[in-house]
Amino acid sequence: MRATMKSFRVRLIAFGIFVVVILLLAGGVFVVQAQAQATPQQPVPFPHVNMVQSGIPCLFCHADAIRSPTAGIPSVEKCMGCHKFIATNTPAIQKVADYYQRGQPIPWVRVNRLPRFVYFSHQVHVVAGALNCERCHGDVGRMTEFQPVARMTMGWCLNCHNAQPEADRLKDCVVCHR
Amino acid sequence: MTRGITRREFIRIGVVGAAAAVLTGCLPPRAWVVLEPYVRPPEEQLAGVATWYASTCRQCPAGCGIVVRIMNGRALKIEGNPEHPLNRGKLCARGQAGVQLLYHPDRLSGPAQQTQRGTRQFKSLSWNDALNLLYSKLQAAGSATAVWGDSTMSGHLADIFARYTKAISAPAPIFFDLYTLFNGYSVLSKTNQQLFGSSALPIYDLAHADVVFSFGADFLSAALSQTRYGVEYGAFRSQPLGKRGFLVQLEPRMTITGAKADRWHAIKPGAEGLIAQAIASIIADQKLGSVERQTRAQTVAARVDVNSVAAASGLSVDDLTNLARIFAAADHPIAIPGAALNGQNNVAQAASAVQALNIIAGNIAQPGGMGMSASAPAGLIKPTPSSFADAQALVEQMRAGRIQALLVHGANPAFDLPDKIGFADAVKNVPFVVSFAPIVDETARYADLILPDRTYLESWGYDVVAPSFGQPIVSGQQPVVTPVFDARATADVMLTVARGIPAAARALPYADEVAFLKETVAALGSGAAGGAGADVLWARFQQHGGWWQSTIPAATPLQSKITAPITVSSTQFQGDEKEYPYFLHLFLSDLLSDGRGAKLPWLQGSPDPMTTIAWQTWVEMHPETAQKLGITSAQVEVGFQRGTLISDVVQVTSPFGAIEAPVYAHPGIRPDTIAIPIGQGHTDDGRYARDRGANALRLVGAQADATGSSLLWAGVRVKIARTGRQISLATFEFTPGVTRGFINAAFPGQ
Repeated sequence: MRATMKSFRVRLIAFGIFVVVILLLAGGVFVVQAQAQATPQQPVPFPHVNMVQSGIPCLFCHADAIRSPTAGIPSVEKCMGCHKFIATNTPAIQKVADYYQRGQPIPWVRVNRLPRFVYFSHQVHVVAGALNCERCHGDVGRMTEFQPVARMTMGWCLNCHNAQPEADRLKDCVVCHR
Repeated sequence: MTRGITRREFIRIGVVGAAAAVLTGCLPPRAWVVLEPYVRPPEEQLAGVATWYASTCRQCPAGCGIVVRIMNGRALKIEGNPEHPLNRGKLCARGQAGVQLLYHPDRLSGPAQQTQRGTRQFKSLSWNDALNLLYSKLQAAGSATAVWGDSTMSGHLADIFARYTKAISAPAPIFFDLYTLFNGYSVLSKTNQQLFGSSALPIYDLAHADVVFSFGADFLSAALSQTRYGVEYGAFRSQPLGKRGFLVQLEPRMTITGAKADRWHAIKPGAEGLIAQAIASIIADQKLGSVERQTRAQTVAARVDVNSVAAASGLSVDDLTNLARIFAAADHPIAIPGAALNGQNNVAQAASAVQALNIIAGNIAQPGGMGMSASAPAGLIKPTPSSFADAQALVEQMRAGRIQALLVHGANPAFDLPDKIGFADAVKNVPFVVSFAPIVDETARYADLILPDRTYLESWGYDVVAPSFGQPIVSGQQPVVTPVFDARATADVMLTVARGIPAAARALPYADEVAFLKETVAALGSGAAGGAGADVLWARFQQHGGWWQSTIPAATPLQSKITAPITVSSTQFQGDEKEYPYFLHLFLSDLLSDGRGAKLPWLQGSPDPMTTIAWQTWVEMHPETAQKLGITSAQVEVGFQRGTLISDVVQVTSPFGAIEAPVYAHPGIRPDTIAIPIGQGHTDDGRYARDRGANALRLVGAQADATGSSLLWAGVRVKIARTGRQISLATFEFTPGVTRGFINAAFPGQ
């Protein structure tokens, strides 16, 4: 009788742990999803729409996209290259100028994330793949606040890789997980 | 019975752990990462792509080539330069830790003036004001200026200091630090001068040797060229056709090299020279080996009474005869003098006696033998380590008030010299002391002005590699990152100041150090990297990490200049045998070397290869000795602290001073000897070095050997007293019953 009680208690505890872990996992997944879809607050409001409508191509600022794995965030000096003269009276530009004067980088908050176990290179997608930036990043040219448009999960990547003429090679695990 | 964890506890810990793991694991790792762009982007940098720059390691005087991985303008990793002919892509732990020097949190930013010495009350001032102050003081001091550098100084800075002091008729700079003192740079060059008429450092071609007799030379640790000897050792042990070199180590305390040896003899401290002499004598008397060897032995070796050497060395007559047979019969035997020789009163004789074995072997300037380091190409400077007498003479000059301005670069004499020499007192009589230390060290505390130099990863320079193995090598040094702090290159500081002093201005007509270096490199001409013209040569020099020829020149033949047999007197020890019953054996820490590594937490935290102790000073002692003195050093067998080594703290007293440190008992040391590593015991030099362990140099007096090359740091006797306190040692891989059993099996009868 005692033994049964004891084993029942053990089972109860085990079940309790199981429920707690499942709840935490679900909570974790929820947090990740929410974060992936959130539009973070940036230290300086940055309307991409203004830049694109002024005729500035993406690669003017994100110049590394065609020669490096990362697209690169423009240096503060590059911002000031134009904004020494343009829209100098707006509070946002004054904030940028202030960063530049102090010699401080602007702490932009990352919007699009890939897990660390994924190898992704902008260079091959933009150069060899001949993709437009909009294909993954959405219509940035109309965004007043930069926000993620795709979840950037493995399925989303594969949708495109599968449709390529070289699908067999591009479906290989080690293409991205190397 | 040991207390285990109950099931309930296990479940409790499990639930909390799982929750913590799930919560942290699910959060996206970059959720809180901000993207910091450059304010002004440096050239040659591409976001997301690493750039590698070739430069030279300056953690010790060897001069290994390094390549540094730079990502987004930050130095992340240092590796050996695979093209570099010295270290061939390898690098030791100290070299790897260089990035921590670059980003050390206690580095000074901008010049600092100390209103009252020793107070650490610094007033920051602008570079302009600092340079004006330095200029006015140096102009006033005139020829009463002294420069105290160290052996890792870049050749171009040593050149600038030398030209400066020569122009103002001041004494030539001295280059003195503990590393070169312990490794006997000065002793080895003087011995070679006497034996072969060349003052270059010796090199040992282990790769082609079949028998190596190491007289305490810990060449796989903080010795002359650790990384290169690591490469050589690898080749020595795996020669063509499965041949494996045979290593005999003779030393009172087991070093990492001793631990790898085929035969390890725990000889009495100070007996190295006598043993070498006895081996030579036996070869001559018993006619061992080839006829040539016998003849050479008869001219070189003084006859000794083997029985008395056996008694004085702790070896048996059979051991000595056996060693002589092995040495005489080998195809390519080598004998290497070790560090401990350099601290004994008979240093010159002992070092000569060991080198004489190489003469007997007939291996001088031969493959698998002893050679000489290649001399520096014309016009290039290698700071030659000064003898101890030179350092002592400068301290006396300071004490006598004959030095008006002292410039200290790289060296740390306040830490490196025993208290008995009285650097602290002598420096009081110097009206103006300048330190170029990037981090406030013990010497900078005595400085009136600190002009922080850039660390070697932010600096230009070159190093003439010595000892270099077979070919002249000039290793190139270049900034791999933009300077992290507001530091200024000392070479530029000196060139600026020299402009105001007419005599110096004529000797140093250069706009800046880069102009000076470009001229030097262009004079080298085209090396293995090719190219022509000053600009191309300069670019290739930076790209490949230096200059060297693609072909190795033939070794210059060397003639032995020995006319009379070498006799070795027995080593005298300081301290009465009855009052001070134990020999003191000091050694450089493999990781902290002479103490300059103590400021880097990676090196502090890396366990010592023999004892696995980190972050501490310890007193190595034979278990029998510990037992005799009633000292306990034991592991906790049960409970929460299971496996922790708790040791008695002892006071070690010599005729000159005393230190306290915990005991580490192990059988790899003679029962009549205690060993203490050098490196800890800093009172300054950054937060990681300060107030940690003890400086064993307190136990050493101020006496030099008869030739003045070295300090008598190895001929000291000590006594041991318990303090009654106990502390736990930060050891590694030491579980009850396992390691102890292993050591007992490895040393039967000890």
